[in-house]
Amino acid sequence: MAVSKEEVRHIALLARLHVKDEEAVSLQRHLNGILEHFERLKGLNLENVNPFEREDLDVTPWREDRVVSWDGREDALSQAPRREGDFFRVPRILEGEDD
Amino acid sequence: MTSLDLSGAQIARAVRNGELSAAETVDASISRILQLEGKVKALLTPLFERAKSFADQLDRKIASGEEPGPLAGVPVVIKDNLCMKGIRTTCGSRILENWHPPYDASVVRFLEEAGAVVIGKANMDEFAMGSSTENSAFFPTRNPWDLERVPGGSSGGSAAAVACGYAPLSLGSDTGGSIRQPAAFCGIYGLKPTYGLVSRYGLVAFASSLDQVGPFARSVEDLALALNVLSKPDPADATSSRRCRPDYQKCLGREDLKGLRVGIVREFEAYPVQPEIGDALGHVEGILREAGATFLPVSLPTTIEAGLPCYYILAPAEASSNLARYDGVRWGMSVEAEHLVDLYKKTRGEGFGAEVKRRILTGTYVLSSGYYDAYYLVAQKARTQISREFAEAFRNVDMLLMPTTPTLPFRQGENSEDPLQMYLSDVFTLPVNLASLPGLSLNAGRSSGGLPVGVQFVGPRWGEETILSAAGAVERVLGKPAAAFGGEGA
Repeated sequence: MAVSKEEVRHIALLARLHVKDEEAVSLQRHLNGILEHFERLKGLNLENVNPFEREDLDVTPWREDRVVSWDGREDALSQAPRREGDFFRVPRILEGEDD
Repeated sequence: MTSLDLSGAQIARAVRNGELSAAETVDASISRILQLEGKVKALLTPLFERAKSFADQLDRKIASGEEPGPLAGVPVVIKDNLCMKGIRTTCGSRILENWHPPYDASVVRFLEEAGAVVIGKANMDEFAMGSSTENSAFFPTRNPWDLERVPGGSSGGSAAAVACGYAPLSLGSDTGGSIRQPAAFCGIYGLKPTYGLVSRYGLVAFASSLDQVGPFARSVEDLALALNVLSKPDPADATSSRRCRPDYQKCLGREDLKGLRVGIVREFEAYPVQPEIGDALGHVEGILREAGATFLPVSLPTTIEAGLPCYYILAPAEASSNLARYDGVRWGMSVEAEHLVDLYKKTRGEGFGAEVKRRILTGTYVLSSGYYDAYYLVAQKARTQISREFAEAFRNVDMLLMPTTPTLPFRQGENSEDPLQMYLSDVFTLPVNLASLPGLSLNAGRSSGGLPVGVQFVGPRWGEETILSAAGAVERVLGKPAAAFGGEGA
């Protein structure tokens, strides 16, 4: 099941990743190489195996649903590339929409 | 004797007794770094001024009779994917080049509360994806034993720093071998704890079902001491186990290993490893036998057949989701664009390096509609099967003796053009993460060419005491690993 260059572009869009033409070629080669490797899984007998069995793990502990105060708001906002007051500023979201 | 010759435990004892000041240990550490860093390049951000002022505070505390903690005055190096409040934390990536986290990772807080002095942030493969530290967006770190070779990765800077004697202890993270493989390549000890033993609050996430934080050291006692400090239950990490932790230093006093049953994985015996590694395994087996251990064959057929593909589906799948947060909106690098989607695409396209892009794409692909069942779900089933196989093996044995890596440290550039070849470097380490087990890589001497040779002990879940005491028995025979560039181990 070889992945085409168009599929690479489609996956890159899903991943919100701009790839240049030469990158797309190398990513396509990589993806096809690694998918070949994944074929080894097809030979396993995994019938009736629970994919999410994690019996060996401790149960995630419960904690009380309690409000605690947090004073890191300014610290967090101070790292924003673009900020307007207490908001993160972004360019427009809908294609073709006028300001 | 300078503090360079001392283990972390010895430094802490001397500082607590007033025989050595924290300021002196920090000065010794800084001069060692200044002497070697131009060659090795293990650190992304040295923190000398901060370390000096922390040490002065500690010395004042001691002078006034306050308890300075079990790691008093011990210099430590922190992998650059662990957050420190207000200190640049890059993850080896351009996208976080100027990010200053608003909080400390719990493990950093635990170390500082115990009196350890952070001396610098260590280089790493970008977002911990790699096995050579060549994927750092800034510069590659070099192997201290042979500057033409790689230190391993992804925690290559942390491993090289301890091998050079910058500090007796450092922290790394291990998702598929990122502590154990560089420990082997740099000729030191590295411990990847059981999943859930050490808090990951403030560790920048790569693959959350696999990531663990752990220590590097040049003495087994230091590993145990570090684990005592690091392994506190942490309410800030939902995966942090609440179970009681033993005193890991206590298990090291065992005189012999009578009754210890060690498993040798039959399928791994057939796997090609370089002859020096096979010799080291035989040598360590002899030492353990001499100490009273018995050996039994165990079988892990699915693990050897499916471990690698299983890992390289699941880890990228989780990474593609975890790395979605780097969008150029809230923190980190951001590229100007007209529309939001373009802002995401351009920021991520410019901010991430080649290997990170490969993993994000692979992860997105195996999770995408139409392929989820064929890849992701099958890999999850294989993971269950692998966990069961290990659990079955540990019914009959107390620990496993395995190679850490198939090869000795490779040359810079040797595998960087072929990612799939690079992935093979993790074949013996990543199954341990898939099964959530503890693994320890220990130095077992050097090859005829002078390169470090490591072997790996793997325990059952919560089996740290067993693998630490076995490592202690080997250390008593082989001695502590030496520091690179002269300066013997303590």
